[in-house]
Amino acid sequence: MSKDAAAKPDKPAPEDRRIGVFICHCGGNISDYVDVNAVREALADEPGVVVSETTVFACSDGTQHDMIDAIRAEKLDGLVVASCSPKLHQVTFRNVASRADLNPYTYTQVNVREQASWAHPHDKAGATEKVIGLVRAGVAKSRLSDPLQALRVQTLPRTLVIGGGIAGLRAAIGLAEIGIEAILVERSDHLGGWVGGFGAMFPNDDSGRDQVASLVEQITQRRDITVYTNAEVTGKAGSFGNYEMEVTLHREGSDKTLQVDVGAIIVATGFDSYDPASGEYGYGMDGVVTLPQFKELVDSSAAGELSYQGRPVRSLAYIYCVGSRQRGGNEHCSKYCCTSAIHTSLLVNNLDPAIRQFHVYRDVRAYGKYELLYNESREGGSTYLKFDADTPPEVAKLDSGALGVTVTDLLTQSQEVTLPVDLVVLVTGMVPRENTSLVELLKVPVGTDGFFNEIHPKLRPVETVVDGLLIAGCCQSPRTVGESVSAGLAAVAQSAALLKKGYADLDPLVARIDPDKCISSGECLTVCPYGSITSIEWDGRMAASIDPATCKGCGGCVPVCGSDAIELLGYTDEQMLAAIEEMVITEVPDKEPVA
Amino acid sequence: MATMVDLNLITDLQKFGAPDVNACYSCGNCTAICPLADNDATFPRRFIRLAQVGLTDELVTSKELWTCYQCGMCTSRCPQEADPAEFMATARRFAIAKLDKTGIARALSTKPVLGSVIVIAAMLFFALFFASVREQETRARLAFFDFIPYHWIHLVGLILMGVVALFAVINLVFMIRGIAKRDQVSAKSLFGSKAAWGRTFRALWYSIGVESLGQKRFREDCADDEPAEPLYRRRWLIHFLTLWGFIGLFVATTLNYVLDMAGVKPTGTAVPLWYPIRLLGTVAGLALMYGVSWFMINRRQQVSSAAKHSSPADWLFLWLLMLTGLTGFVIEVALYLPGPQIWAYWVFLVHVAIAMELVLFLPFTKFAHVMYRPVSLFFYGLAKDEHRELQPV
Repeated sequence: MSKDAAAKPDKPAPEDRRIGVFICHCGGNISDYVDVNAVREALADEPGVVVSETTVFACSDGTQHDMIDAIRAEKLDGLVVASCSPKLHQVTFRNVASRADLNPYTYTQVNVREQASWAHPHDKAGATEKVIGLVRAGVAKSRLSDPLQALRVQTLPRTLVIGGGIAGLRAAIGLAEIGIEAILVERSDHLGGWVGGFGAMFPNDDSGRDQVASLVEQITQRRDITVYTNAEVTGKAGSFGNYEMEVTLHREGSDKTLQVDVGAIIVATGFDSYDPASGEYGYGMDGVVTLPQFKELVDSSAAGELSYQGRPVRSLAYIYCVGSRQRGGNEHCSKYCCTSAIHTSLLVNNLDPAIRQFHVYRDVRAYGKYELLYNESREGGSTYLKFDADTPPEVAKLDSGALGVTVTDLLTQSQEVTLPVDLVVLVTGMVPRENTSLVELLKVPVGTDGFFNEIHPKLRPVETVVDGLLIAGCCQSPRTVGESVSAGLAAVAQSAALLKKGYADLDPLVARIDPDKCISSGECLTVCPYGSITSIEWDGRMAASIDPATCKGCGGCVPVCGSDAIELLGYTDEQMLAAIEEMVITEVPDKEPVA
Repeated sequence: MATMVDLNLITDLQKFGAPDVNACYSCGNCTAICPLADNDATFPRRFIRLAQVGLTDELVTSKELWTCYQCGMCTSRCPQEADPAEFMATARRFAIAKLDKTGIARALSTKPVLGSVIVIAAMLFFALFFASVREQETRARLAFFDFIPYHWIHLVGLILMGVVALFAVINLVFMIRGIAKRDQVSAKSLFGSKAAWGRTFRALWYSIGVESLGQKRFREDCADDEPAEPLYRRRWLIHFLTLWGFIGLFVATTLNYVLDMAGVKPTGTAVPLWYPIRLLGTVAGLALMYGVSWFMINRRQQVSSAAKHSSPADWLFLWLLMLTGLTGFVIEVALYLPGPQIWAYWVFLVHVAIAMELVLFLPFTKFAHVMYRPVSLFFYGLAKDEHRELQPV
């Protein structure tokens, strides 16, 4: 990182800076409510401003090129664009600066659309004055900006995979294939997770056991994958690119710990199957089972011999959405279960087509190609009865000894019918797996639903806000095997993107402590949500220090420091005070009453 | 109160030749396109659903089953090729068997060997019985009632009608209870007041007069815009002729009996062809045979969806009608041929035996529709009447 002190002698005085200001019309979104020419004129005379222009669309390709030309021609050393929210285009214009060989951190985005034109559509004069103030403040910030340099860290070409289910296993192989060493840690004593326990699975009837066995076989043949079963991740130190992880091996008699150094971590810890409460749809009654229990029964039954506890099963009812789409907890759809139940009913059909099967459902969400399985089961004799969430089915013992599932069927004029069946299968959903210690250790972001959170569901689906910490599979949300494996491989690709260069550039907008000012009060140590601040020895005394590799630049530590020893680079006290000063001196016109 | 589902309904229906009801995904195209389905009678979708779920009683004791004349539009529009029209026909066969507690109807529909044995045994029984009571074959002229004394025929006929009436009452009570409960019709709502009597009579007139004898909806509504058959063999027309032919023959027979009782014309008196009762019988017999012949040809050629699938039960009813009509016609021809045609005595014996079987099998064969359809249409008429009062025109 560049040293501020070293940069300062080269830095021109604020009024001698050469700053370009571009005011965007946003095609009328701004210019219809703000007098952009007045803003341009007001800014033209500001000290340090050498270019002040308006533009119809600042983000358009043409204008970006014009900006680059202007930066080069006028030898600009600062850039301000007054346009939309920085969430939209801050990166765009930082890149414009970079392409013109201007340090991107001398760029300031001023939001005059969401914060002025859209907020004050009935007060053009007021909005215009506000924009002038905001842009002046932005200019003041850019005037005091330093040409910060990204922090470059070396990265280890090794990834830790936590969880040996299908997603973790496939991810480990993917990592090895792409040239990244994989270390797989599995809590239980065997690999394979849920899938490893199942026989034929949808959509193509491949056996889960066989698929897992083939993955395990591949893994054992590779030297670049290390597997630890009966093992847990118990410690974490270091930062992205150089994590130092502690793995505890539970061995007979004693535990052994070892340290593994990795560049990134893929969390693929999976899910728990919903465990119905006693009495929930008759759970606990003889003959009421969950879908995984029933699947095991079907997998182990020979053709023509489906029986439960020694009694032949001639009829059965599946009750859908148990533990999913519930009010006040488990509100999510577990996504896999409709198709899984349907597929299981097809397996039952293969065992004995005369077995009468009823599907008591809320909505059949056999999406995409799985719709065909639904058709197949329906045409194979499965009867579907739809209930409303307000009138859930009830399970009770009948006098005949059979189980009675009473349902108000919306497809039969909302008639209440009782299905006398031998077996009731509760189609249980996926719930987040209890993993508190791991979550606390890794600081995995957890959603209100208990599943792990990605940064962006579409654009950054396997990354978390913790650098180098990736998530995959059902720990993130309920999904099918195929989707879990896809996510595992996406995490592999993202691992490669992070680690394969051998280094990574980190955002330099981080907090920094001036150890000379620090009085070691310890206030900042407790507020940092990322654990980036530690106490170190400095000049024979203790002082706080921030690890720039793990600091996210949130600024939480800045205000708690009683001795003003902490600065947030890019948002220094000096910059922020100057910006505020500019806004204060801007004249505010008398308010015209709003018509 | 929840209805207990019958797990075996689908497999049972399949024995009666039900098409693949599982193909149906409850879209309701069939009900939407049906020219006869309306708010007072919704089918066929609902009935396929009853079969899928297993609600036997509702399927069997329903007026809608008999409101359908099987035009086949539903089948032609079904996106799943579930053949709703054929399903309704099967369900009617099923209902006849289910309402019949003797098991004879079920055997006739589902057990070809046993069914054939029953049909042939009954025919032989009647033939042997009448052969055993026969007296002399008058050689001078054909005197059928000297051959088989007409009091035997009357006696057996009356006993059979009594037996059939008994069965009909039992079966109809089951059916009527089911429909009345679902349609919320009570004795009070039928006969409780003057207005109630009015409604009841209007529904009766609609059922018997307008629909059963007049075939109004069968004639006017129950057809595609482009019927498959030309007019002379269109289903409503051949049914109309069959029905009225049968009624004509029944009236002629009854009149003969009445005139005999009154002593005007003893049964067996030779009469010319233009004698009114003889003329009525002749014309009615021809109408019946015309209708039945086309029914058989249509089925043989599978001209429409209604004639596409023919079960043994369909053929049995047609053949009984056909043979009764044909033997009757041959006897009549023999009467007017020169010289006594002695062989006609034995044709007469066969004629009487088959006619007796036709009557006896009424509750067990497709013939049973003559009791179930009017009752269903009566309830349909009641429902329509009620809604007409709700919506003044």
